[in-house]
Amino acid sequence: MNSDIITKDTPKISAKERRFSRLILFIEDLVKVPLFGCQHCGECILSSTAFVCSQRCPKRMRNGPCGGTGEDGSCEVYPERKCVWYKIYKRAKLLRRVSLLYQFNKIHNWNLESTAAWLNVFKKRNKPPIWFVWNDKQKVKELISRDT
Amino acid sequence: MTLREKISAGKFVVCGEMEPPKSCDAETIKKKSAYFKGYVDAVNITDNQTAVVRLSSLASAKILLDEGLEPIMQITCRDRNRLAIQSDLLGAAALGIRNVLCLTGDHQRFGDQPEAKGVFDLDSIQLIATVTNMNNGYLLSGQELKKATDFFIGGAANPSGTTFEMQLIRLYKKVKAGVHFIQTQPVFDLERFNKWMEKVKEMRLHEQCAIIAGVMPVKSVNALLYMKNEVPGMRISNEYIERMSKATDPKEEGIKIAIEIIQTLKTINGIKGIHLMPVMWESITPTIIEQSGLAKR
Repeated sequence: MNSDIITKDTPKISAKERRFSRLILFIEDLVKVPLFGCQHCGECILSSTAFVCSQRCPKRMRNGPCGGTGEDGSCEVYPERKCVWYKIYKRAKLLRRVSLLYQFNKIHNWNLESTAAWLNVFKKRNKPPIWFVWNDKQKVKELISRDT
Repeated sequence: MTLREKISAGKFVVCGEMEPPKSCDAETIKKKSAYFKGYVDAVNITDNQTAVVRLSSLASAKILLDEGLEPIMQITCRDRNRLAIQSDLLGAAALGIRNVLCLTGDHQRFGDQPEAKGVFDLDSIQLIATVTNMNNGYLLSGQELKKATDFFIGGAANPSGTTFEMQLIRLYKKVKAGVHFIQTQPVFDLERFNKWMEKVKEMRLHEQCAIIAGVMPVKSVNALLYMKNEVPGMRISNEYIERMSKATDPKEEGIKIAIEIIQTLKTINGIKGIHLMPVMWESITPTIIEQSGLAKR
């Protein structure tokens, strides 16, 4: 249903909160920009993309790569770069977080752009991050065999 | 019988593909429709493919519909945000267009106007979910539609894309988002396609959506080499390149290869149809369908 694909009726951001959000974003940036190349979408899905930011993709794909990844993993738009989803897949394999790639990432709420994702989690606008994944392989198997 | 009915009745379907003209000339579309009439079950109408401006897919689909063909309207996320997409879909439904193919779209950098701003508000999986939502009678706003749409939803898959598993995960997500049929990128590497199909069957995705395999007849070896070297995510087996370069009549050889591929694909269990996409060569559609024995299906 609707709520499975898009987040609706999240608490409004007041002017006061926006100012506070900017402060949190500054702190968040100190970590997220050098480590992940954060694009400030405000709706962080880093934990489900194996801690590689999917928003650096030229098409801003949130649910996996387009069909144009080169065989060496290069991006089709900027061949000198690596496809972020290629990196996500490799990292997910390494960190055993592949089962999270099967999740549907909801339609982006552009209202949250340039706000602090950490604050948005606290204010229940976003899902909290998933820190640990146990039995990744088993989970993938269960996902595939479910309702078939 | 509509495409949906044919597929659910278990018939082997054939889809064609037409690119709208780079002008406002409706006659071109009507003229081209003669290549498809009586040969294919539905025709894909590309939506500004490779980011080059053409007559809109919605208008072209309507023209084809009036010509008595069944269009599959392609819809991409490059040029429209969620508002425009939903409004176009409602318009398409009102005009009687029943099939949509949901794509992310080529990046604008490949087109004739690379300075343009790409939208990419949704991606193809989110677009499929949006159409499913509209079929259920809702807009993304949560508002209920007085009359729900009834689209037969399509998606694309790339069996030769990188990485293999990630492309399967995307297919899985598309199925879960409610896709009804899948059209694959052109098959030029049967070994890889078989491997992909095995995996699809293992995940039992072919039971939840109809897989329609893409076939692209080519006119020359250069077209093959261009795809191999310049188009990312395409695999072309060397056998075909060798055969095309040695052929005295490359066009004839191209047709022969396409027919061979079709005949192999027909034998693969789980394939529900063929999607014939001769780029800039629509006139060859009847020849290939007749020669490959698909005319009497």
